[in-house]
Amino acid sequence: MKIIIVGAGEVGFHIASHLSQENKEVVIIDRDPGAIRRVSDSLDVQVVEGSGSSPVVLEEAGIKDAEIILAVTDSDEANLVACLVANILSSSTKKLARVRHGDFDQYHDILREHAPHIDNVINPEIEVVKTIESMLRVPGAADVGEFADGRILFIGVYLDKASRLAGIKLAELPDKVINNRPLIAAIVREEELIIPRGDDRLMPGDLVYFISEKDKLQDILAVFDKHDKPANRVLIVGGGNIGLRLARRLEETANYCKIIERDAARCALLAESLNKTVVLCGDGSDQGLLAEENIQDMDVVVTLTDDEETNILTSLLAKRMGTGKSITKISKFSYFPLMKAIGIEQVVSPRLSAVNSILQHIRRGKVLSAISIKGEQAEVMEALALETSDIVDKPLKQISFPKGALVAGVIRRDKIIIPSGDSVIQPDDRIIIFARRQAIPKIEKILAVKLEYF
Amino acid sequence: MHWRFILKTIGVLIFFFGLTMVFPLIVGLNYHEQSVTALLESMAITVISGLLLYLVFRKDKAEVINQREGMAIVAVGWTTVGLFGAIPFFLGDVYFTFTDAFFESVSGFTTTGASVLANIERLSKWLLFWRSFIQWLGGMGIIVLSVAILPFLGVGGMQLYKAEVPTPVPDKLKPRIRDTAMILWKVYALISLAQVVLMLLGGMSLYDALCHTFTTMPTGGFSTKNASIAHYNSVYFDCVVIFFMLVAGINFSLHYQMLRGKTLAFWQDSECRFFLGAVVVLTLAVSLNIFGTVYKTIAEALRYGAFQVVSIVTTTGYVTADYEKWPAMSQLILLLCMFLGASAGSTGGGMKCLRIMLCFKYCYRELFTLVHPHSVSHIKIGGKPVPDDVMRSVLGFMALYVGLFALSSVLLAGLGVDFMTAVTAVASAIGNVGPGFGMVGPVDNYAQIPVLGKWLLIWCMLLGRLEIFTVIILVVPEFWRK
Repeated sequence: MKIIIVGAGEVGFHIASHLSQENKEVVIIDRDPGAIRRVSDSLDVQVVEGSGSSPVVLEEAGIKDAEIILAVTDSDEANLVACLVANILSSSTKKLARVRHGDFDQYHDILREHAPHIDNVINPEIEVVKTIESMLRVPGAADVGEFADGRILFIGVYLDKASRLAGIKLAELPDKVINNRPLIAAIVREEELIIPRGDDRLMPGDLVYFISEKDKLQDILAVFDKHDKPANRVLIVGGGNIGLRLARRLEETANYCKIIERDAARCALLAESLNKTVVLCGDGSDQGLLAEENIQDMDVVVTLTDDEETNILTSLLAKRMGTGKSITKISKFSYFPLMKAIGIEQVVSPRLSAVNSILQHIRRGKVLSAISIKGEQAEVMEALALETSDIVDKPLKQISFPKGALVAGVIRRDKIIIPSGDSVIQPDDRIIIFARRQAIPKIEKILAVKLEYF
Repeated sequence: MHWRFILKTIGVLIFFFGLTMVFPLIVGLNYHEQSVTALLESMAITVISGLLLYLVFRKDKAEVINQREGMAIVAVGWTTVGLFGAIPFFLGDVYFTFTDAFFESVSGFTTTGASVLANIERLSKWLLFWRSFIQWLGGMGIIVLSVAILPFLGVGGMQLYKAEVPTPVPDKLKPRIRDTAMILWKVYALISLAQVVLMLLGGMSLYDALCHTFTTMPTGGFSTKNASIAHYNSVYFDCVVIFFMLVAGINFSLHYQMLRGKTLAFWQDSECRFFLGAVVVLTLAVSLNIFGTVYKTIAEALRYGAFQVVSIVTTTGYVTADYEKWPAMSQLILLLCMFLGASAGSTGGGMKCLRIMLCFKYCYRELFTLVHPHSVSHIKIGGKPVPDDVMRSVLGFMALYVGLFALSSVLLAGLGVDFMTAVTAVASAIGNVGPGFGMVGPVDNYAQIPVLGKWLLIWCMLLGRLEIFTVIILVVPEFWRK
C-alpha cells in the first residue's frame, strides 16, 4: 500500500513514522530541505524535495500507483491545491486534506462532490475540541475515546495509590468488584504498554485503559475511586480558533464559561461572537487576574494559547490556586512523556488529533474510528465486520488473531457484548479491536474484504 | 551507544553468514574432497559463535538505532565477518598462516582480489569456490543482503544501509529500504545468472563459470587459475568478461530502471556517460600506446588494452597481459584508473566517477567565480543542483582518501617495501583493485609483503570498501565519547 504525504511538518512526520513502522510504502514531499533531511535521517520512507502541489513532483513521487494522498502542510491553500492536482493526475487515489480555516466547515461535503474530490477534510481544531469536550464529560480520565457514536467509551485513568484496586491481580478482580466490573484492555506502566493477563497486577501510577458503556461510566469510574462530577464551570485561557470553538460548544451545552485572552482586538471579536461567555482581557498567567476571577471555584481550566510552555505553566499555576482540573494543549510530541512527572494529567494536541483522524481513513476494511493511545504504541479501532471478511461467522478462538491484539467489545444493534473465545461475530456487528502497532497490518488483513481487488 | 544490541545484531549476522558455508560444502562433497571436513569445522565454529553472541544479548532491544550505531554495526560487522571467513582458509590449507588467511578473506569480502598465494590451482575445489563466493557476497554487500532478508532489522535497516552504501546522492528505488535492498540483490543475481550462461556457452565448466561470475559481478578479481583470465586465451571470454565488468561498474539502480523498460536510463545518467566515456578514451589512449611497441596488430592492442583498462577502472583486477612490460604512459594511466574507480552505487571501488565529476565541476566553478566575482552558480548533476553539504562531504572524502593513501604508503615503505610496490599496493588495496606494480604486479602476488604490511593493507581494503567514513570514524575519539 503506497501512501504519499505532502508536508513533512509535525503532523506529516508522525503519520509517516507511524505508517512506516507498519511496513507501508510511504513517500513524503516537502519544499524545505531541512525538513526532508530530518525525515530521511530517521524514517524508512522515500523523500521527494519540492512543492506538493506541483504535478511534476507528484509524478516523481509516484501518484499514479499511490492509494492515498495526505495533504497535511500548514497551509490550507497548499493542501487544497495538492489535492486538486492529484485529482487531475490520478483520480482513483484517495485524497485527504488538512484544512483548518473555519470558513470551510460547512463545505466539507461540497469539496467531496465537486472538483478536488477530497474524500475527507480533516480539521484538527474540530477534532481537538471534540476531545476536550469528551474529557470534560468524563472527569478523572486521562484519555477518552468515543466509539459507536459516543455510546461506548474507551477510557484511560491513572490509578491512585489510595485506590482499592491498587496492587491486586486481574484474576482477583471479580472477587473485589461484583457489579460494574471494568473490562481492562491495556496498562501503560513506565512508558511500557502491557496487555494484561490474569496474573498481572494493577500497580499505583499505572495508566489503565478500559472499555465502558456510557450509562455505566460513573459506576465504573467509582470502582477506580474517581468520583468527580462532570465539569460545569470552565475557564479557557487563550482565545484563538480552538478557544472560540470550544466556548461556542460550551454555550450550547449550557456550561458556565469564562475566556481569557491577551489581545484586546481579539477580545472584542470574541465578545462579539459569544453571547453568554465572560470574555476577559488579560494575561492568563497573571495571578492577580486569576484570583480576581475566583479561579478556585472553577471546575476545569483549559489552556489553549499558541505557546505550549505558557500553557503548561498556566495549568500548573491554576491547579496550585485551587482549580479542580486542567486540560493543557501541547503540540510538541517530545513533551508528552514529561507531563505525568510534572503533574499534568490531561493533555490535548491538535496534531495528535489530526494524526488520529487521519489514521482512521488509512486503515483497510471498514474502520469507523481509530485512536492511537499514549506514546503511539497501540491503537484502538472500531470496525464494521464485513460479510466477506475473515472475522465473521466463526468462533473468535478459531480466528488466527495476531499476538498483541484483542477484540475488546462487540456492538450488535444496541447491545454491547464482551466477547469470549466462543463468541461468534455476525456480519454488520461493530467490533472494537485493541492492537499493538506491530499487530496492525495483520488486523487490517483480517478486517478487509476477501478478494477485494477482483 | 547500545553496545549490547550492536553485538546481538552482529551475532545474527555471523550466524547467517555461517549458514552460507553450505554452498562450498556442496561443492566439496560433489568433488569428494577429504579436506571438506575443515569447512564443516569452520561452519560449526561460525554458526555456534553467532548463536552464542545472539543468545547472550537476545534480551536487548532497541526501538531505533542512530547513525553512529549503524556505522559501528557495519564496521565491526565487516571485520568480524572477515575474521570468520578466514577460518576455512586457516583450517583448510596448511600453507595459510593466520595473517594470510585473514588477508585472503578480507581481500575476498572487500572485492579486492589480492592474493597471498602464488599457486592457487593446488587449493582444493571447495576452498577456491569459497574464495570466489565471498567476493560475490561482499560485492553487493553483506549488510544490504541482511537488510533484504532479515526482517528483524526493521527500522534500523536504513541506518545500516546508509553506512554500507554511502553514495554521495542516495537513491532509494522503493519507499522501504528492505524492498530497495531486495531489488538490488535480485538485479545482481539476475545479471550474474546471465553471465554464468554466457560463460557456459563459451565452453567453460559449470564450476569455473560460477567461480568467475562470482568474481566478475562484484568486481572482485579472484580466479581459479594461476594465470587469471589469460589462462583461457580466448577472445570470446575476454569480451564476455569485459562486458560484465562494465555492467558491474555501472550504478545498479540504472540496471533496475533498464529492466523496467527505461532503455535510455544509461544515457540519461550523467555519471554513467562520464564513466563509459572515460573507459573509451582511456582504452584508446592505452591501445594506441601499446600498438607497435608491445603488440603488432591494432586488434591485439585493443583487445589487451581494453581488457586491462576495464579491469582496473572497475577495480576488478583480472589480468590478461603483463602490463608491467608496457610503456610508462600506459602504466600511469592504469595507476590513475585505480583512483578513478567505477560508478557510485555499483559494486566497483575507487573514488567513484560521481565524486571525480563533482570535483571537476567544483574546480570549474571556482575558476568561473574568479572571472565573474558576482556570479551566482550552482554545481549541478543531471540538471539538479547539488546541496552544499553533499559537496562538502565529497571534498572531505577526497581529502581523506588521498591523505590515507599517502600515510599508508609511507608506512608500508617504512616496513621495507620498495617505492613502486608501496605506492601501488596501497592504491590497489584502498581502491579494492587487486594487482599493483612492482612486487605486487599482475604476475606476482602479496606473499612477499611483511606481516605488519599485510595488516596495514587489510585496514586499507576495509577503508576502501566501506568508503572511508564508516571505518575511519571508529578511530575518532569523539565517536566513543559518551
